[in-house]
Amino acid sequence: MKINSLKNFAKNMRKNIIFTAFKAGSKSAHIGGALSATDIIAVLYSGIMKIKKSKTIDNDRDRFILSKGHACLALYSALVEKKILKKKELETFEMDGSALLGHPIMNKLSGIEFSTGSLGMGLSLGVGVALAAKKKKKSYKTYVVLGDGECNEGSIWESILSASHFKLDNIVIIVDRNKFQQTGQNSSIMDLKNLKNKFKSFGCETTEIDGHNIEQIYKTLIDIKQNNKPKVIVANTIKGKGFKLFENNNNWHHSVISKSIYREILKEL
Amino acid sequence: MNIEKNIKLWSSLGMRATFGLIAMELSKKYPDLMITTSDVSTSAGLDRYKNKYPEKFVDVGIAEQNLIGISAGLSSEGFKVISTTFAPFQTLRCCEQIKVNLGYMKNKICMVGLASGLVLGNLGFTHCCIEDIGVLRSIPNISIVVPSDPLELFKVLSGAINYKDSVYIRLTAGSNTRIVNSKDYKFEIGKAIEILPGKDVAIIGCGNILGECLEAASILKEKKIQCSIVNMHTIKPIDKEKIKNIAKNNKLIVTVEEHNVIGGLGTSVAEVMSSDRNNCKLVRLGINDFYSSGGSYEYLKNIYGLSVEKIIQTVLSNL
Amino acid sequence: MKNKKKYIEIFTKSLSIDTKKFNEKIKYNDVPEWDSIGHMTLMSELEDGFDISIDTDDIIEFSSFKKGIQILKKYKVD
Repeated sequence: MKINSLKNFAKNMRKNIIFTAFKAGSKSAHIGGALSATDIIAVLYSGIMKIKKSKTIDNDRDRFILSKGHACLALYSALVEKKILKKKELETFEMDGSALLGHPIMNKLSGIEFSTGSLGMGLSLGVGVALAAKKKKKSYKTYVVLGDGECNEGSIWESILSASHFKLDNIVIIVDRNKFQQTGQNSSIMDLKNLKNKFKSFGCETTEIDGHNIEQIYKTLIDIKQNNKPKVIVANTIKGKGFKLFENNNNWHHSVISKSIYREILKEL
Repeated sequence: MNIEKNIKLWSSLGMRATFGLIAMELSKKYPDLMITTSDVSTSAGLDRYKNKYPEKFVDVGIAEQNLIGISAGLSSEGFKVISTTFAPFQTLRCCEQIKVNLGYMKNKICMVGLASGLVLGNLGFTHCCIEDIGVLRSIPNISIVVPSDPLELFKVLSGAINYKDSVYIRLTAGSNTRIVNSKDYKFEIGKAIEILPGKDVAIIGCGNILGECLEAASILKEKKIQCSIVNMHTIKPIDKEKIKNIAKNNKLIVTVEEHNVIGGLGTSVAEVMSSDRNNCKLVRLGINDFYSSGGSYEYLKNIYGLSVEKIIQTVLSNL
Repeated sequence: MKNKKKYIEIFTKSLSIDTKKFNEKIKYNDVPEWDSIGHMTLMSELEDGFDISIDTDDIIEFSSFKKGIQILKKYKVD
């Protein structure tokens, strides 16, 4: 059954994420934000996007942009499950000269569209890519995952205004609404209040879902209608989702997984 | 296109309106051209282009960060992109986007900075730009070219559109620019041009201020001082060989630019000269790291020592 | 105006107007080609054609074919 294979994909992604973070050792890793985005990215890669390993760049592929670039462990893990990257490559994470760093480095053949990490920039690139599709009359879709803290950046709202103005109904924006940012909760650092209403008022077709309900994520993404508006999905998530030790614990925004912690969390899988 | 016939017309139109005409020509040659702007089509002379090729024109509104992001996205999908707005907004407002998208990711874009330098002085320093070269020089993979007049702008754009790196093209002066190049000539990004031969003193300049330099040189010639004038249109990659040669063969170099003396042409020349032992003094003319009160272009050039008289005085007092 | 034929020729050439369709009542912006760029092209061609140099104020005042005739008189073009 389709939903089970999506759930399995997500489970394997989580295995890869904690494995890679553990291997990174004292270099530490952005764990919480990768885990909150995992189910969204799992559904995209295993059930929705037209994307596969290829020797040359496929110009008709769907494009995925991880605007919240620090969640790259989720991206790399998805690419491994999709067999675009080899599992062995995860062991080079954050090593000297590695192609897999703590933020994505552009490599289109490896499935990494852009070097994101400086927040607020990926969406703008996505708008350009979606606009290019309209101009070339191509049918590929562009998916962009944003962080909620990332929505503090003014550049996000410039991008949203333009996506709506250009009637880009070929872009899907998913906000990983885990309610935390680097040093605390959104509500105490810079309150986003009703994020869904904000996107709606900017001219987007907006829905709000449970970002960990695989079935709901899948049904929402598969059912997207073309109607001259960009699509925004505000996905309510839990930072660190999948491991009780990490869930809603902002200490795991960027931290080290020790041997003992690794042993403990493995049990949950 | 008959180049020489256009010299007079283009000079009366100025760099910005000429840019609009050049865009029309480029569009005929490059089907995948895309011009992007932040609500400045008229100021960039692009109204005709916008009306004739609306599908090759993207206006993102007054949002320069988004301008660069969208331009980079379009470039990554195979379009030849030229983005344009007023120089301070083209380079400083979206500086980090330029670093990440053009410098780090090497998504190639030609950026045209309108009315850089002092020409919009009556609008105050928010609309002047004396920092752009200095800031962009420190970002790898971006070339910086300052055309001296509209004819050179035509050559710069024609070269930049196929150049390997992103190029920042810095426009100076308004309508009725001085004609620096009165005949057709060979142009190559990165190769400085001696536009007037001389000895002992070399004036190295960039942008339309070279017009003032030429006038200063002709007055100095009457005083029996024969300065050479070098058009160093490309600040990055700078023509190191040319500078080393000039330093070897002259007692004095005066650099002239509508830019802060920190970070621009003068600094670039100093960097090259400092690695050789030479017997040549360098004097940098430009904005001496302060924002003056506003005023007309001529008023500001005078304050910053960029008028014909002040260029002459600088040469005489440093010989 | 003695030079009317030449004057009309310069107008139609600079603004890419069909000579047969030319109307002496034409004003700035009446046709798309007579925009700000077209205007400077027209001024440049008039200067070359009549060997004169037109002042900036007159360039701004030159708002129609008929007004132009008056302005050119200042430059001894009749």
